[in-house]
Amino acid sequence: MTHVAASQQLSAYLDGELAAGERQAVEAHLRRCAICRRDLAELRRVKTWLGALPEVEPAPGLLADLRRVASAPVGGGALLEWLRGAVRRPAVAAAAALMALLLIALPLAKGRVDRLQAANVGVEVYVREHAVLSGTDPFADPAYLGLLIGDANVALVGQRRTPEERP
Amino acid sequence: MIRKPLGVCLAAVLMAASAQPGSAGLRLGPQGRIVPDVEAILRTMLRAPAATDYEGTKVISTVRGRTAETVTMLESYKRLGRLRLEFLSPESVSGRLMVDDGRTSWQYEPAMHLVVEGPSFISGAGRPERAAAIARGYDVRVLGREEVIGRDTVVVSLAAGRSGSQRRLWVDEATGVPLRTEERDARGEIVFVSYFSRISYSLNLPAALFQFRRPAGARVVSFHLSGRPVASSRELLDLARSPIAVPTLLLGQYRFRDGRIAHHGAFSAVVSTYSDGIGVLTVFQTPSSRMAFPEVGVPIAFGKGSARFLDLGYFRVVLWQREGVNFAVLGTLPGTILLQAAAELGAARFR
Repeated sequence: MTHVAASQQLSAYLDGELAAGERQAVEAHLRRCAICRRDLAELRRVKTWLGALPEVEPAPGLLADLRRVASAPVGGGALLEWLRGAVRRPAVAAAAALMALLLIALPLAKGRVDRLQAANVGVEVYVREHAVLSGTDPFADPAYLGLLIGDANVALVGQRRTPEERP
Repeated sequence: MIRKPLGVCLAAVLMAASAQPGSAGLRLGPQGRIVPDVEAILRTMLRAPAATDYEGTKVISTVRGRTAETVTMLESYKRLGRLRLEFLSPESVSGRLMVDDGRTSWQYEPAMHLVVEGPSFISGAGRPERAAAIARGYDVRVLGREEVIGRDTVVVSLAAGRSGSQRRLWVDEATGVPLRTEERDARGEIVFVSYFSRISYSLNLPAALFQFRRPAGARVVSFHLSGRPVASSRELLDLARSPIAVPTLLLGQYRFRDGRIAHHGAFSAVVSTYSDGIGVLTVFQTPSSRMAFPEVGVPIAFGKGSARFLDLGYFRVVLWQREGVNFAVLGTLPGTILLQAAAELGAARFR
C-alpha cells in the first residue's frame, strides 16, 4: 500500500471500519512509516478530545425566543424586552453568553490553527518557490527540480510522499 | 619501474595543466585528443538548451541526512524550454507525470487523480555568452575526458561559492548536455548523483509530447507563484506589512534580484531572491506570530532562538528565528556557506 493510499485510510482504520485485508495493509504501512504513525496518533488524540466533550441540551425555550427576537422590529425596545426575558430565564442568558464567547474564541482558535498550519505548509512553500526560481540556474538539474516541486505540490494538497530508502 | 610511452606522459602533464582554473586554449586528453578549455565547454553546455532535443532514462540518487533515495524517470527535452518527466520508480512516485511547456507546468498524480498547475521551472534560452562570466566568478576546472554511456564527455568541476570544489559534471562534448552530475559534501562524500543510463538525441521531438492533456475527471489545483514580483528592495519593503531585513548583497557576490509576497491559503511570507548571475539564494521571512517554528530537519546552534538545518541532498535550508520573525534561506551552497548568509541576514537591520 502506498503512503498516499494509507494516509487516506487512517480515519477509517481508527474507527474499525476497514475490511481485514485493508486493515492489515494499513498496519504494515504504519510499521515502516513514521509520518503515518504520527498522523494516526494526532487523529486518535483529536477523536479522544472530541469524545470527551459533554453533550449540552439547549434550553427548552431558546429556539422560540430566538425566533421571536428575529421577527421583532429593530429597536431598543425589543432588545430591552429580550434582555428582561433573559433575566427571567437564566438558561437562555447562559446560552447567549456561551455563543458570544464562541464568537470571540473561534477567531483566536483559528489564528492558532493557522499558525500551526503555516509551520506545516511553510517549508513546502519555501522548497517549491526556491525550486521554481532556480530554473534560471544553468547548472540546476531540471529532473531534480521537477521531483522537488512535485513532492512539495503533493504535500501542499495535504498528502506527503514518504521517500523509499534504497541501500 | 614501468616505463610509459612518452605520449601518455605528455598527455598526463597536459591534463594536469588543463585542470588549472581559467586555463585557455586547447589541451590534449589521455588518448592524445584535444580537450576543450573551460570557456569552450561551458559555451557548448550553455548553448544546449536552445540547440538540442533529447530523450533518455535518468537516475537520481540523493542522500538526505540518514535517508538515501533513488528515483528513475524518463526525461524528454525539446529545444527552447520544453520538458516532460515520467517517473518510473520507486512506487511512491511511479506514474507521476510532469509536463512543462516553458510557460506553465502540469503535474499529474495518478494515485490522487489530481492535476497541479503551476509556473514553468525551465529556462530554454541558450546563453553561451555567460561562459566568460562563469569562468571568472566560479572556480571551474576541466579535469579531463571520460566516456559515459558510450559518449565522449568532458569532466568539469565547479565550485559554488568559496568552499572549494563541490560539483562535477560530465558534459557531452558534442551536444553540451550534462550526462552525469555529482555533488559532494564538505567531507567529500557524494550526496547527490544524477545520470542518464540511456540517452538518444533527436533533431526534432514531436511537440505533442510536451502538451498536457488533462485526464478525464481529474481534480485540478493551481499553484502559481504568488504575488507580483518587484525588482528593488525598496519596493519589497513597501509590499511587506511588517519589518523585514533586506540587505542588497549577501556573501559579497549574491545581489538582490527580485522579491514578492508568497501566499498559500492563510500562510504568507516575504520572499527575496539573490543571485550571483548564476546560482540563486532565496530568503523567506514570516512573523513568528503567524507561523509556528517548523520542526523539520535537525536542530543546530545558531543565534539566540530556535534554528534548524534541512538537507534535501541538492538544496539545503537553514531556518532560524530572530526578533519575532521566522527566517529561512535556501540554496545549493554548502551548509557552512548558507550559515554565513544566515549570519549576514541576522546582522542586517529590520526596516
